[in-house]
Amino acid sequence: MDAVVVENLVKKYRDVGAVNGVSFTIRRGEIFSLLGPNGAGKTTTIHIIATILKPTSGKVLVFGHDIVKEADVVRKDIGIVFQEPSLDNQLTAYDNLYVHGRLYGLRGRELEETIYKLLEFVELNEYARKQVRYFSGGMKRRLEIARALMSNPDMLILDEPTLGLDPQSRAKIWDYIRELKKKYNMTILMTTHYMDEAEELADRIAIMDHGKIIAMGTAEELKNMIGNDVIYVRFDKGLPESVCSSLPGLKDCVKVGSDTVELLVENATKALPEIMSSIYANGYRVLEVSYKKPTLNEVFLHLTGRELRDSLESNPVPHRRWR
Amino acid sequence: MRLIDLSPFIAMVYRQVKRWWSARSRIFTTVINPLIWIIFLGLGWGAVLSPSSVNSPSISGLPVNTITKIMQDYFNRLFGGVDYVTFMVSGMSVMTVFMASFLGGISVIWDKQFGYLKETLVAPAPRWLVITGRIVGDSIVNVVQALIIILLSFIIATGINPIGILPTLAYLFITSIAFSSLGVVIALKLGSVEGFQMIVNLLTMPLMFMSGVFYPINTMPDWMKIIAQFNPLSYAVHSVRYWLTGANVGLDYMNLSIDLSVLASSALVLLALAGWSFNKASVED
Repeated sequence: MDAVVVENLVKKYRDVGAVNGVSFTIRRGEIFSLLGPNGAGKTTTIHIIATILKPTSGKVLVFGHDIVKEADVVRKDIGIVFQEPSLDNQLTAYDNLYVHGRLYGLRGRELEETIYKLLEFVELNEYARKQVRYFSGGMKRRLEIARALMSNPDMLILDEPTLGLDPQSRAKIWDYIRELKKKYNMTILMTTHYMDEAEELADRIAIMDHGKIIAMGTAEELKNMIGNDVIYVRFDKGLPESVCSSLPGLKDCVKVGSDTVELLVENATKALPEIMSSIYANGYRVLEVSYKKPTLNEVFLHLTGRELRDSLESNPVPHRRWR
Repeated sequence: MRLIDLSPFIAMVYRQVKRWWSARSRIFTTVINPLIWIIFLGLGWGAVLSPSSVNSPSISGLPVNTITKIMQDYFNRLFGGVDYVTFMVSGMSVMTVFMASFLGGISVIWDKQFGYLKETLVAPAPRWLVITGRIVGDSIVNVVQALIIILLSFIIATGINPIGILPTLAYLFITSIAFSSLGVVIALKLGSVEGFQMIVNLLTMPLMFMSGVFYPINTMPDWMKIIAQFNPLSYAVHSVRYWLTGANVGLDYMNLSIDLSVLASSALVLLALAGWSFNKASVED
């Protein structure tokens, strides 16, 4: 049985679609990452999987249980770390875990032992009796991971686990995630807009944009979509109409932006001289040429015509409404 | 057979009490407000509304003694046999609980804004049990604060009976359950602390003035009397005053068991309403 099966999930707020027909499955014991810019619908998707949002239509099963009809069963099976901190700042680290454990029905010796075991796991045991408001962002995140693990869930859901953290804290959180998979074979569903994070941690990645999954696979598979090397040529005075057909030796040619063309080739160093001479022969003027080994950013650019980084700015975080 | 796992309930009681305890320096600010009412309104009006303020009037044909006696009798009927300071101070614990109950609603809004509400929404515990735990936790805190006020009022008021404190706390607890639930219901509906405070101010001041804390219900204008009859707070004030001072001031039909049934049924209805609102709550609204 798969850990999560999502079929044709749709979520509309009033009439605006946040998730527009998403389907994927997560296998047991794998790290699955939803990658995409803010506003792509990642958080909405995982809130639905975590049973705190109701889908407009579609079906979601978590370990075979329907998230609407069997919400309570699903809630027992998952642990979640939300994007924004959700700790009680006025309580100590210990009390935050204690209250959570009690909410999940733990008690007595078992509760006590779990708290200390997990505080040790996230290296916060010496801060057990300190109020959370004195914690740094990284410490809070680690405490939240510990809290999500309190109920010994079969799946851990992490929404942007390293958002806004410094590099050391990020590295630490990555270590914990790897360790959870290695030691406990835990199924992990995470969202991120950091490509390196998805590439580093995830077994499989689903790239989301505008509420849809536009590509899915391992990091290797995704990068293989666009071949070995990518060349970007930026033209003076806009993009010539027939530029793609006029160039030799290409695997693919995609216009990205108003003045740039993306050329996929087997080997950029060998192909470049020929391409350049062909461009000059056609009388085009070139402003800039670059080539890269493809990363997930190039994949995103290839699929959407936008840089993942740019779309972060052009798609500001949607206003969070509580009312 | 285990009927129901009370663990989530205990979790929330623990949280509310622990939060209060960790911020116990703030107890001062919660106690200071009723204390100001007690000192300035109580002592100020206490001097006016007493027979001794009527200094030897001379109405021809009536001895001064008789006049003082008439005045004394009048005030006795008005305040149930105690002086005004005792009359007012004995109602203040109700006001403390009442005001503090709504503050519990503000903490629900903070929880929304700081994301903690989500943490309680994903828990596999019955929602009504979670919110009941929260309300009971808040009520324990509120009753402790009221106890502080009662103990402080011994300094100012003379006619308070220490034996009545225990049953008073029980009545206050039920009152707190009712109004904390109301606070939660309003808070779950509203998104901002500002909006909440506006609504609450609109609600609390009139309810307080029409509860008999500051002046007896029986001398109110008729329309006010009618509203006071439907104000659960009137029954809380009547019962608490009776327990603390023995003064039976209120509408004719009021007695301890009627007070208790009105308060308990308001508490149950409002608690059910809070459970229902929390059950419907999602991260969307």
